[in-house]
Amino acid sequence: MSEPAASPEPAASEPDSTRAGPGRLLVAIYALFALSASARAGVQIATKFSHAPVAYMLSAFAGLVYILATVTLAVGSPAARRIAVVSCSVELAGVLAVGTWSLADPATFPDATVWSGYGSGYGFVPLVLPVFGLLWLRRWARRARTQRMAATSAEDAG
Amino acid sequence: MNGDVPTTIIVAGLALAGYALLMTARNRRMTVPLLAAVGVLEILLLVQVGIIVARLAGGERPAALATLIGYLIAMPFIPVAAAFWGLVERSRWGPAVIAIAGLVAAVLMVRLHQIWPVIHV
Repeated sequence: MSEPAASPEPAASEPDSTRAGPGRLLVAIYALFALSASARAGVQIATKFSHAPVAYMLSAFAGLVYILATVTLAVGSPAARRIAVVSCSVELAGVLAVGTWSLADPATFPDATVWSGYGSGYGFVPLVLPVFGLLWLRRWARRARTQRMAATSAEDAG
Repeated sequence: MNGDVPTTIIVAGLALAGYALLMTARNRRMTVPLLAAVGVLEILLLVQVGIIVARLAGGERPAALATLIGYLIAMPFIPVAAAFWGLVERSRWGPAVIAIAGLVAAVLMVRLHQIWPVIHV
């Protein structure tokens, strides 16, 4: 058990989609946040919008971004992956911007959003999630590139 | 008496998450015992939903009624969705999905108490 370089038992090779392997966990967590952020925003906007309009609109926006990321990561086609990269990037930018904004100007946020305090109300998962999402998508982009290169060099040879 | 079920759910949820994460760390796939444990969590959550519905039927109301009803509807789907999503994955990441369900169940109990403090933990 000294050098377990490649684990022998699961011959489960490489995941065949962005929703498989570690992506399975990623999609599950994204789905959870899609549900909780949008449901929460829906209730807040319906029942007490004037109390904290900025916070609630941002919650709703975050919910939409999470839904988009969940669906595109689950689909995993090249086009879906491009949209997923955009949604994860928007998500990361959103957490950082709203996190900073909520600390600098607490008066605008009498009620918390998913992203206020850099997602501190959700164990900072909102801050970490887009980073893992982007890393996962980068791995797929690299794999697609090497496959394309292999294909073109095969064409050149033939 | 009142807090027995939520406390049990928190303990069971965290234990399930710990065990499932251990399986992920040891490169194990989904097993029947893990699935059975998810079934137990599901039953506990349904019991908790029943207790809250009984209170609501008795005429008691929390301040955030809409949020509470949202939680009551969403809660029973968490273990079911995790079981399906974990089962289609034939790698160590299946148990990882189950771990999330356990953690979420525990967090939900704390949130329920925040929404409606008569639900003790």
